[in-house]
Amino acid sequence: MGEVTKAKLEAIRNLDLSAVENIQRALENLSKLNPRINAFIGPNPDAIAQAEAIDKKLNRGEQVGKLAGLAIGIKSNINVKGLRATCASKTLEDYVSTYDAEVIKRILNEDGIIIGMTNMDEFACGSSGETSAFGATDNPAASGYIPGGSSSGSAAATSAGISDLCLGSDTGGSIRNPASHCGVVGVKPTYGLVPRQGLIDLAMSLDQIGPFAPDVYGAALLLEVIGGFNPNECVMLDVREVSYVDKLKEDLRGMRIGTSQKFRELTDPRIMKIIDSAIEKLQDLGAEIINVELPHLEKGLPSYYLIMSVEFFSATRKFDGRKYGKRIEDVCGDEVLRRILRGRYISRKEYRGKYYQRALQVRTIIREELMAALKKVDVIVGPTVPKLPHKLGTSLTPMEMYAYDYLTIPANLAGVCGGVIKAGELGGIPVGLQVQGKVLGDGEMLRVLHAYEVNA
Amino acid sequence: MKMLIGFEVHQQLNTDRKMYCDSPTNYQDVPPNTNVCPICTGMPGSKPMPPNERAVNAAIEIALLFGCRVITDELIYIQRKHYDYPDLPSGYQRTSLPIGINGELQGVRIREVHMEEDPGQYDPTLGTVDYNRSGVPLVEIVTEPDMHSPEEARKFLRQLVRVLEYSGKVRPEAGGAMRTDTNISLEGGGRVEVKNINSVKGAYRAIKFEIIRQKSKLERGESVTRETRAFLESQKITVSMRVKELEEDYRYIPDPDIFPLIIDKARVEAIRASMVEPPYLREQRLVKQYGIESTAASVIVSERELADLFEAVAKEIDPKLAATWFRTKLKKVLNYMKLRAADVKFTPEHIVDLLQMVDDCEITPEQGELILRQLVKHPNDPRKILQELGLDRIKPEELRAAINGVVSANPDAVRDYQAGREEALHFLAGKVMKLTHGRADARKIIELLRTKIMGEK
Repeated sequence: MGEVTKAKLEAIRNLDLSAVENIQRALENLSKLNPRINAFIGPNPDAIAQAEAIDKKLNRGEQVGKLAGLAIGIKSNINVKGLRATCASKTLEDYVSTYDAEVIKRILNEDGIIIGMTNMDEFACGSSGETSAFGATDNPAASGYIPGGSSSGSAAATSAGISDLCLGSDTGGSIRNPASHCGVVGVKPTYGLVPRQGLIDLAMSLDQIGPFAPDVYGAALLLEVIGGFNPNECVMLDVREVSYVDKLKEDLRGMRIGTSQKFRELTDPRIMKIIDSAIEKLQDLGAEIINVELPHLEKGLPSYYLIMSVEFFSATRKFDGRKYGKRIEDVCGDEVLRRILRGRYISRKEYRGKYYQRALQVRTIIREELMAALKKVDVIVGPTVPKLPHKLGTSLTPMEMYAYDYLTIPANLAGVCGGVIKAGELGGIPVGLQVQGKVLGDGEMLRVLHAYEVNA
Repeated sequence: MKMLIGFEVHQQLNTDRKMYCDSPTNYQDVPPNTNVCPICTGMPGSKPMPPNERAVNAAIEIALLFGCRVITDELIYIQRKHYDYPDLPSGYQRTSLPIGINGELQGVRIREVHMEEDPGQYDPTLGTVDYNRSGVPLVEIVTEPDMHSPEEARKFLRQLVRVLEYSGKVRPEAGGAMRTDTNISLEGGGRVEVKNINSVKGAYRAIKFEIIRQKSKLERGESVTRETRAFLESQKITVSMRVKELEEDYRYIPDPDIFPLIIDKARVEAIRASMVEPPYLREQRLVKQYGIESTAASVIVSERELADLFEAVAKEIDPKLAATWFRTKLKKVLNYMKLRAADVKFTPEHIVDLLQMVDDCEITPEQGELILRQLVKHPNDPRKILQELGLDRIKPEELRAAINGVVSANPDAVRDYQAGREEALHFLAGKVMKLTHGRADARKIIELLRTKIMGEK
């Protein structure tokens, strides 16, 4: 386990596999599998040409980047110059990016090859992958079930083995939730670690771009490439050097790992059983397991949905129908409209104190609570999603849909990092273990994921 | 009737780069939509760069010039002000909480100074938007409603513009770059805000119109409702935009993409130490330091460069003489030639030399003015100009010849003068001056003429 990405990189570097072969294989898989799983919205027509350029470098024996020759899928809310960043919405169906997001520049700089734009919940508004204007995505690990969302296509593409790595974005669980349902590794980095320049907003104070990979090594490598300070945006942490790959270890001796009773209260007992045995495994690997108090955890959900809606309302004002042809409210799906209208309503002057300010106060409480817990321990482990994914096409109320997010939202509200790895299966459906780390504790978090992966 | 008038003045700061991106700010000099990038056009996914430090420093300096207390060591949030208009690429405008508060200018309280960004320029006729201006930093100065007549308001606004120009931190083409809203309320009526005013003159007209409109409504027994009106420059009237019930809710939120500003005390003190002296303080100082009249000081400080020139000159020569010359002759010449003090090329030494020549009676004040006119056009040593103009002082025998000539050519006037008509002597003096091209001192001519006609006494 856990050698997929490393093996691929070495094969390319040793000229056992050319970049062009790798990309061709990815594109063949894409055209073969996509009609069924609908993970990609648009492939990149230049991918082969980019691969040829990298092969040339390799054949001349030149230095190549960390991601040389890997096939990478990009969530459709990240700008890649010349490709459509549709956000899986009719609003932006004709929007071709005029610039590269900072993370894309960094990937290209390390010789990664973008094979296409992945499907997602419309404007990242959803936890099931079903709200895309381009149709729902299937779960390759459990066909007929939702892949989770909102980074549904990136999780599914990684799970199906179409792409080597993918980028997603996580505002309230949008990387971790589909990673859990699709049985892949997904990481939401510390808020402010990864540049957001070029990420189309859901909620600016919560959004963070992060990697999907078949293994922890791949996720750590991609995070290493995209992470670190960008002087051309404001809200970034001052982190100049990022290295994770060389800090991955196989044991957890000396690590203090927290978990909370609260998780059990909120989670399907069948899921908890899998998580419990994963925690036992961590203990076997040398970690000390410590119970932490998270008394207000579930209050994060209403707080999140208010803050996110206000920020989303603000972020979508530019989609006024003047520059991109369609006014968002005229063409978007129900969930996007619900969030815009909610944001518009509660941001009214007379309601500020009643909703938005109070939501911010709750956010502060959740942050302090999580920070206090993370002072006692290095990481907190538990389930990712409190319930099993539903079958595609099942009708859920908004509250039932939002309930998928109980356990992932707190990390976004607090700005800490969180990563997910497959811990087991229930009736063939993957269940993910979530590891939440401190602010800039991404390395520690990855180390726990890696130790679990190697020994599971 | 009691009235209250206040202003909100917007002025562009003269930075090279925009507020939240690196695009240049010279929007008037380039074709439409060329000074743009994904950030100032609000492309999906773009995020602001950290706020332009120079713009923030300029706003701090302007706040200090208006005697404001600068907000230090506190979070100053940059807020999003949402409204829907074609010139606004993201559907919101970024506006800071106050940088400075509680200032004062000419007895008018300054409520606050904060920062904003300019939107693009929308042409409703063509239906096009030019984003070159989008993101240019603005400073907004908000007064309390402390003015009580259109004249007082005009006087204040002129002074405010002067202070801004003095700072050197705002775009010099003040006419186009200044925009102001004014609020006017009469006793017994609601507060009316008038937008879309682009000049001091426009503000004066808008206020006058509003007072007449509101007064006649109140006199008819109607009520003046609280509303926002727009000034139509071409017709010099205001028209209703929206009444209070329909007032826009901007749904302010702190911009999550920008860390709040924190201004530390050291930064404020560094700016204070190097900032320009505001004109009202400079006027007081000139009066005290140089012992000149406040009327002269007021004219001298009307332009920063004029005052700089004065102070350079006053160090070398009698300040009172200099002040008189600045207030009358220099200002007159500049006005006549439609020049600003910033445009002149001559040096303080030129003026010093010129005044010295006048003071030593080497030349007449009239000749001095002629030289000054030339000095403004073609800066040079005043003595050289004197020679070039042939103005060097006339020789006594030449003057005497001219007087003899005039006296013998105008016997009627001579007789009139002898008969006691004083103005006849002035007539003759004028003839002599013409003949000698103003090179002789008028008093000397009069004296010589009188002696010539009436004989030595």
